[in-house]
Amino acid sequence: MADLAFASAAELARLIAGKQVSPVEVVRSQLERITSLDGSLKSFITVTAEAAMTAAREAEAAVLAGRPLGPLHGVPLGLKDLYDTAGVRTTGGSRILADRVPAADATVVRRLREAGMITLGKLNMVEFAYGPEGRNAHYGHARNPWDASTHRMAGGSSSGSGVAVAAGLVPVALGSDTGGSIRIPCSLCGLTGIKPTYGRVSRAGVLPLSWSMDHVGPMTRNAADSALALRAMAGYDAADPTSSVLPVPDYTAALSGDVRGLRVGLLRAFFLESATSEVRSAVEAAARALEHAGAIVDEVALPGVRHVAAGALAVVATEAMSYHAAWLRTRAGDYDPAVGTRLMAGAFVTGVHYVRGQQARALMRREVDEALARHDVLLAPATPVTAPGIDDREVALGDGASDVRSALIRLTRPFNFSGHPACSAPCGFTAAGLPIGMQIVGRPFDEATVLRVADAYQRVTDWHARRPVLA
Amino acid sequence: MSEPLDLDALRAAARLAGFAWSDTQLEAIRPMVEASRRLLAGLEELPLADVEPTTQFRMF
Repeated sequence: MADLAFASAAELARLIAGKQVSPVEVVRSQLERITSLDGSLKSFITVTAEAAMTAAREAEAAVLAGRPLGPLHGVPLGLKDLYDTAGVRTTGGSRILADRVPAADATVVRRLREAGMITLGKLNMVEFAYGPEGRNAHYGHARNPWDASTHRMAGGSSSGSGVAVAAGLVPVALGSDTGGSIRIPCSLCGLTGIKPTYGRVSRAGVLPLSWSMDHVGPMTRNAADSALALRAMAGYDAADPTSSVLPVPDYTAALSGDVRGLRVGLLRAFFLESATSEVRSAVEAAARALEHAGAIVDEVALPGVRHVAAGALAVVATEAMSYHAAWLRTRAGDYDPAVGTRLMAGAFVTGVHYVRGQQARALMRREVDEALARHDVLLAPATPVTAPGIDDREVALGDGASDVRSALIRLTRPFNFSGHPACSAPCGFTAAGLPIGMQIVGRPFDEATVLRVADAYQRVTDWHARRPVLA
Repeated sequence: MSEPLDLDALRAAARLAGFAWSDTQLEAIRPMVEASRRLLAGLEELPLADVEPTTQFRMF
């Protein structure tokens, strides 16, 4: 059971295709693990055990019949509970949508099912994806599995996705990322996940927080699995007006392990400077490891990043308020106050603020493009701190104290604002045993290089292979 | 632009936007609205006069 629980998606797909393990065995063992562990972890909102077992038996029959199999045939999948699933409630982590049952799957859910994946259920999240801590007043706060003695934040908003993958309940989960909601839980839970370029993966059928800042992507235990899942998810979709027509490369084939001559720009000002000493040391060590592997590392700065908080606030607050306006008129009391008050505050952001935010966004995008004209990727911490306690309100950063929300989102949000692809990957642990995440940022639509760097790093380190001790 | 907001001003602005929130609700969000306005004021410092906003995001 333990081996199956932490087997990679690629390994499971290979074992299943080779008839060495049955999808029924895999799904049953994962469901048993969910039953055993998730009462305290609180990573799932809805477990679709019966449907999963039915799908597993069908998957097994396909293998035995020698039918063509998808690249992820029989591999379990968890979905953040904002992906529409036909016939299965999709709550957005809210009370308002507690009984909402979509008629159709989100595009990416359909694509992953077509690739052979079997969904085990819907994962906990911050209400309507509006917050990075991972708290949820309606369905319980997901628990970071890396500290058995203290309830620590999983990070959000894709908190259940982070916990479920880290705890070995599923090998792959989908998250969404408006200011860091894939990369933050990956950083705090020791995972690898990628926020693709805006437009690379369809958002159709995914509950929005901020249409122009939302990205969807996979969360996994290594870069190779992210590559596998992203390939199956990505590509043009007529149902998403911002979907790109660019062809999707074979991300797995791009994982050469070779970073010789690759130019890496290490982001020190604002990024490394704001990190705790343990996070800073780990990311600097990762830069040296890449250098040792043949990459060329130098330092680079993004001076305009200081205006991202204001610009992103103007954009996200306005777009989120627009989506929620009808409910805020009639059901404001049904929101968790921590989320509702922030949504309501969006009513006081003006149209001029919104346009200023979008202008600032153009400047930031240009600045990141210029940095990436001289470098193949940028390297930074994913979060400046490791997992705070669930009730912590303030954390100490390398350059002063900060409220937890601002701290967690500080280093990831710039690349939602600019739209560039960015992944988080583990690069160390603190003395207290908490994971540290680094962020790799690439050129638009060059997820292949981002994943190649993460994978190359994982070939010479073992941070991604460590597992939490679970009761 | 970033001076403190009193409840009357907040109530009027909310009504103008179509929200009939109670005074209790408005008091609860007032600190956040004031903090947001202070942050947003910083956008005026940017050289944005000749910058076209990103209304249609990067797509190929």
